[in-house]
Amino acid sequence: MNYVLHILVMILIYGILTLSLNLLVGYGGLLSLSQAAFYGIGAYASTLLIIKGVNFFPSLIFSIFLTSILSFFIAYPSLRLKGDYFVLATLGFQIIVFSILYNWVSLTKGPYGIPGIPGPKIFNFELSTPFHYFIFSGIFFLIVFLFFKKLYNSPYGRVLKSIREDEIAASSLGKDIPLIKIWAFAISCGVCAISGSLYATYVTYIDPTSFTLDESIFIASIVILGGSGNLKGPLIGVAFMIILPEFLRFLGLPDTIAPNVRQIIYGLLLIILMKYKPSGIIGEYNLQ
Amino acid sequence: MISQFLVNGIITGSIYALIGLGFALIYNTTHIFHIAYAGVYVVGSYAYYFFYRVLHLPVFLSLLLGIIFSVIVNLIIEFLIYRPAYKRKSSPMISLISSIGCYICIVNLIALLFGNEVKIIYSGIQPSYNFGSIIVTQIQVIQLVSFIFLLISYLLFMKKTSFGKLIMAFSNNPELLSSVGVNIFNLRIIIFIISGVFAGIASCLVATDIGMDPWGGMSLLLVGMVSLIVGGVGKFNTAALGGFLIGIIQSLVVWKTSAKWQDCITFLILIIFLLFKPEGILGTKRRFEEI
Repeated sequence: MNYVLHILVMILIYGILTLSLNLLVGYGGLLSLSQAAFYGIGAYASTLLIIKGVNFFPSLIFSIFLTSILSFFIAYPSLRLKGDYFVLATLGFQIIVFSILYNWVSLTKGPYGIPGIPGPKIFNFELSTPFHYFIFSGIFFLIVFLFFKKLYNSPYGRVLKSIREDEIAASSLGKDIPLIKIWAFAISCGVCAISGSLYATYVTYIDPTSFTLDESIFIASIVILGGSGNLKGPLIGVAFMIILPEFLRFLGLPDTIAPNVRQIIYGLLLIILMKYKPSGIIGEYNLQ
Repeated sequence: MISQFLVNGIITGSIYALIGLGFALIYNTTHIFHIAYAGVYVVGSYAYYFFYRVLHLPVFLSLLLGIIFSVIVNLIIEFLIYRPAYKRKSSPMISLISSIGCYICIVNLIALLFGNEVKIIYSGIQPSYNFGSIIVTQIQVIQLVSFIFLLISYLLFMKKTSFGKLIMAFSNNPELLSSVGVNIFNLRIIIFIISGVFAGIASCLVATDIGMDPWGGMSLLLVGMVSLIVGGVGKFNTAALGGFLIGIIQSLVVWKTSAKWQDCITFLILIIFLLFKPEGILGTKRRFEEI
């Protein structure tokens, strides 16, 4: 039972992550390969406060603000760069953040990681079992999901979509494109911090290797696979990508080769999808 | 002291330059963001390892086979993925994502076959030479000499032969080129062969020096891309200059601070260039819409 709950918690955490990236990819048309960097910054920001004795919720709010502000570092390039160049800039940002997390040993403990992160406390009740975390991250997931649902139907969401389709037309209607894009990044990266904080307190140990470029590529491929541009697509992608490795485990693959086989399947899926259905399994938007 | 760091920088820079040149050749002509090039790179050194250390073939034959394997994989990617995508007129982003998928497949396939751990070709201390106060190892000299030889022959090929001129024309206007009766697909094959050779040679040289692991290609390719951006997109030789610059800057970073900040500085340079000088040092200036 704990095993199933564990998978469900991971689906919820990654669900929040992919919903956040969906705002950029599916609505902004901006493929960002630095989502793991913000996930990591969020995780580290709240962890460092929590181990100093601060409660979970103030730390969470601090980490959301911090990642939203730092998102300007990729929002600003997105105003000036398109396509490949923007992807390259986000790649660069991802590597810089990883390198800082890894090498700033006095702050982040670098490669040693931070063990023993205490669980969130709600009025003297400390979360400990997987079931608690399932409910807890379920609530956060629901909040994020409803937030994005509201956002996509709001005037802001529609303007963002119009920018994706035709930036010049949108600006000719008097929309302030830079501001709208900067907000999109701030929201998306702030939501990343939520899943980062949840991950850190759930696993109780973080180290920089959870937030590498490969992780960014993994998050991006979930969104691309499920399909971006609506709320269902990324979630189908998450369910698929998290449950698939568990199926492989039941097939009896040895543990030494299972991760590689899983990766090969992801890679093949990406290639095949791009050939036959570039919008993903049930996506609405083709990347340009 | 500084001269030693400069020499080290130039020698590592020559590897970045090779990867940068190979990537630039594909990017400038086909506009494919060839991330799977990192996989092509890794294949070269593992083929070399397999033929030399497992099958015990002579070293030069193994090197040659390593390079040939890189070329073959590069061509397979072109035939199976990029060419169909080009015929379907899909967007560059689609090629980029399938390229990422392809990279993941190649690297994990190699990890499955050879294991995830680092493999070395030569153990022990390599012979080294002293030039005054500068010390260089034998393999470093080989790296530099073979790079200079390759660069000169590549430049001659591009400037003097008709294929080189066709490739230049391809990068300017592929539609016009095909309308005068040139078979673009044959030209693309030549482009992928040349860039495969570059990846293979770079890979074998690095493997001889420091060994290999399946994930080594990506970090090197990223630095190669930085070299291209710094040198300037749109031309064929500027990536060499960018590679040397990045190599020298990296070794100065090692000298002044420590090796761990190399990546940070390299990609900071990338972002600064992308934002403030996207045409690079020597690249052609382009309009904002084209970037």
